[in-house]
Amino acid sequence: MSDRVWLASYPKSGSTWLRMLIGCLSWPEGKPLDINTALSHGGLASDRMAFDNVLMIDSGLLTLDEIDCLRPRLYEELRRMDEFDDEPGAPPAAFVKVHDAYTQSPLGEPLLAGAGGARGAILMVRDPRDIAASLANHARSSIDEAIDFMNDEKSAFCRVTDRQPVQLRQQLSGWSRHYASWIGQRDIPVHLLRYEDLKRDTAGTLRAAMGFAGWAVAQGAAERAAALADFARLQSAERKTGFVEWRTHEASGRLFFRRGEAGAWTDELTPQQAARIEASHGPTMERLGYRLTTMSRQEGSGG
Amino acid sequence: MYSYRVAGLAVASEIELPGMIDHPAGGASPEVIVRSGAVPEALEGASEIRPTFQIAGELFLLRIPGVARFLLRAGREMTFEPQDGTPASEIAIFISGTVFGILLHQRGQMVLHASAIRVTDKAVLFCGASGSGKSTIAAALGQRGYSMLSDDVCAITIGAGQVPMAQPDGRQLKLWEQAIDELDLGARRGVAVRGRLEKYYVEPLAGIEEALPLGAVYILRETRPPRRDGVERLNIVDAAMQIRRNAYRPRLVKAMKQDTQYLEYGASIANKAGVFGLNRPHDFAIMPSVLDWLEAHWRETGLLGAKA
Repeated sequence: MSDRVWLASYPKSGSTWLRMLIGCLSWPEGKPLDINTALSHGGLASDRMAFDNVLMIDSGLLTLDEIDCLRPRLYEELRRMDEFDDEPGAPPAAFVKVHDAYTQSPLGEPLLAGAGGARGAILMVRDPRDIAASLANHARSSIDEAIDFMNDEKSAFCRVTDRQPVQLRQQLSGWSRHYASWIGQRDIPVHLLRYEDLKRDTAGTLRAAMGFAGWAVAQGAAERAAALADFARLQSAERKTGFVEWRTHEASGRLFFRRGEAGAWTDELTPQQAARIEASHGPTMERLGYRLTTMSRQEGSGG
Repeated sequence: MYSYRVAGLAVASEIELPGMIDHPAGGASPEVIVRSGAVPEALEGASEIRPTFQIAGELFLLRIPGVARFLLRAGREMTFEPQDGTPASEIAIFISGTVFGILLHQRGQMVLHASAIRVTDKAVLFCGASGSGKSTIAAALGQRGYSMLSDDVCAITIGAGQVPMAQPDGRQLKLWEQAIDELDLGARRGVAVRGRLEKYYVEPLAGIEEALPLGAVYILRETRPPRRDGVERLNIVDAAMQIRRNAYRPRLVKAMKQDTQYLEYGASIANKAGVFGLNRPHDFAIMPSVLDWLEAHWRETGLLGAKA
C-alpha cells in the first residue's frame, strides 16, 4: 500500500538532488543514469493540471483564494486515488514535492489537508546564505533581490493574475517563517533533513529519511544511489544532455546543478549580504546549527 | 430561451451564453436544455462520490463552491443552482467550458482539451494542459488570418469515410490580460469572463461555424531538455496515447468507459491527420518564429499551398 509523503522545502534547498537520490534507489542495476528520467515521480503539490483533472473544475476560472479553498479536497482525493499502487516494485511511498509554507486556506483548513493529505513530511533545509546565491542564479536576479525575497513574508511563486502560470500559487512566507510553519504544525509528523548532512553523509542521511517514509533501504542500496547521483556526475550529465527541470530559455548556458556545495556562500556573498541574512534569520539559523558570523541576533527580527 | 449550436448540438438555454454560436431553433426541438432550478447537494445511490462531483447512473452532479451546483442528466439536460447569490452572468463561463465539456463526455462523445483554427479547408488543433498556451497560439494565428473554430473545448466526430471532424464551439476566444497586451488585441477585447478575473472574451478577426475535417493535431509542450524546439511527428502509439491524455477530462474517459473509443479515434486521427509535438519555450518573444515553423510545416504537409 503506497502512501503520500511531502518533500517540503524552501526553494533552492536541494530537494531536486534529494528527488534524484530517491529515484536512483530504484534505478536499474547496470543501466547508465539518465538524469532526465531518474527523478522520483511523486508529482508536485502545485500541479495545476492535477487540480483541473481531479476536481473537474477549470482552475483558470477561479481566483487564487478560491483555488486555495479547494486544495485540501485535491490532496485528500489524490491520497484516496493511490495511483502509485499499480507499479510493481514501486517505493512504498509517493514523494510529493511542495514548496508552499504550511498554511491555512482562506476557510481555515490546512491547505495541504493535514493528516488527510499525507502520512508525513520530509522537511529539507539549507543554510539561507547558500540559498541566496542559488536563488539569484535561478531567478536571474541580484543576490540582494534574492535576500529581499527571502525576507518577504508575503513572497509567493505564481501569484500573478494577468496570466495563467502552469503551477498554482505557492505562498512561501519568507525563509524563517517557512521553516517555522512546517516545524510548528501538529497535523503530521516531520522528519528534518539538513542539506549539509545529506552532503556529509549522503547514504546514511538518505536511509534515515526513507526509513521515516516507511521504506527500509539497505546501506548498500543507499551507497549505490549516492554514487549514481554524485554531484560531479550530475553536472557532467547536464552538460551533455541538459536537464529536464531547467527551462532552456532560463538556462542559456548556466547549469541547474550549479555548485552543490555547503558553505559556498563565503565566496559568493559580501559580508554585508551575509549580515543582512543573519539579521533577519539569525534565531532560526542558530536553531538549525548554521553558525553566524555576526552578532546581530539581538536586533534580528527572526522573520 | 436563447438558442445556440454547441459541438454540433442544438442547445436551448434560459440564460445568455456569451461566445456560443447563435442558432435560431427554427421549430426543431433542442438536443440539450440549460436551465436554472433546484440542484441537490448529493445524489442518491451514487456510484462515484468525489469531493466536487458525484455520478449516479445518468446523473452527474458538479459542485463549484461559492459559484453554483450543476446537475447533468443523460447529456440532455443541464440544471444549475447559483450559490451565494452568484449572478447568472458569472455562471455562464462555467457552463460553456467546464460543464459542457463534462456533458459531451456524458454523451459518449469524444472531446479534446484543444483550441482549433482553420488552415485552408482543414481544422488544425492545439492540445495541452491549462496554461500551455492553446488559446494564445490560436489568437496569434488569428492575427495572421486563420479563422477560429473553437477555444479550449473541441468536440470530435467521425464523419463520412471515417474522417475525424472538429466541431465548431464558439466565436470568442478567452484570453488573459497579458496575452491581449502581447498580441495587441486590446481593441477586440470584450467583457471579463468573470468579474473578478483578468481574463476576457476576445472577438476573433474571423470565426467559422461549420465542422471541418482534421488536418493536424499539435500537442503544445514547453521545450525542456532533451527535447529541442520545433515540430516532431509522434509515432502512432504515442499519438493515440496523447489524444487519450488530452481528452477534456481524462478522468471521465475512464468513468464513462470511453478508453477504447479514445485509443481508436486517436489512431484514426494519427493516420488521417497526424499528431505532432510542438516544442517551444513559454515566451511571447518567440511567438512569430513559432508561427513560422507552423506555416512551414503546413506547406511541407500540403495543408497550405506553396507560397505565391
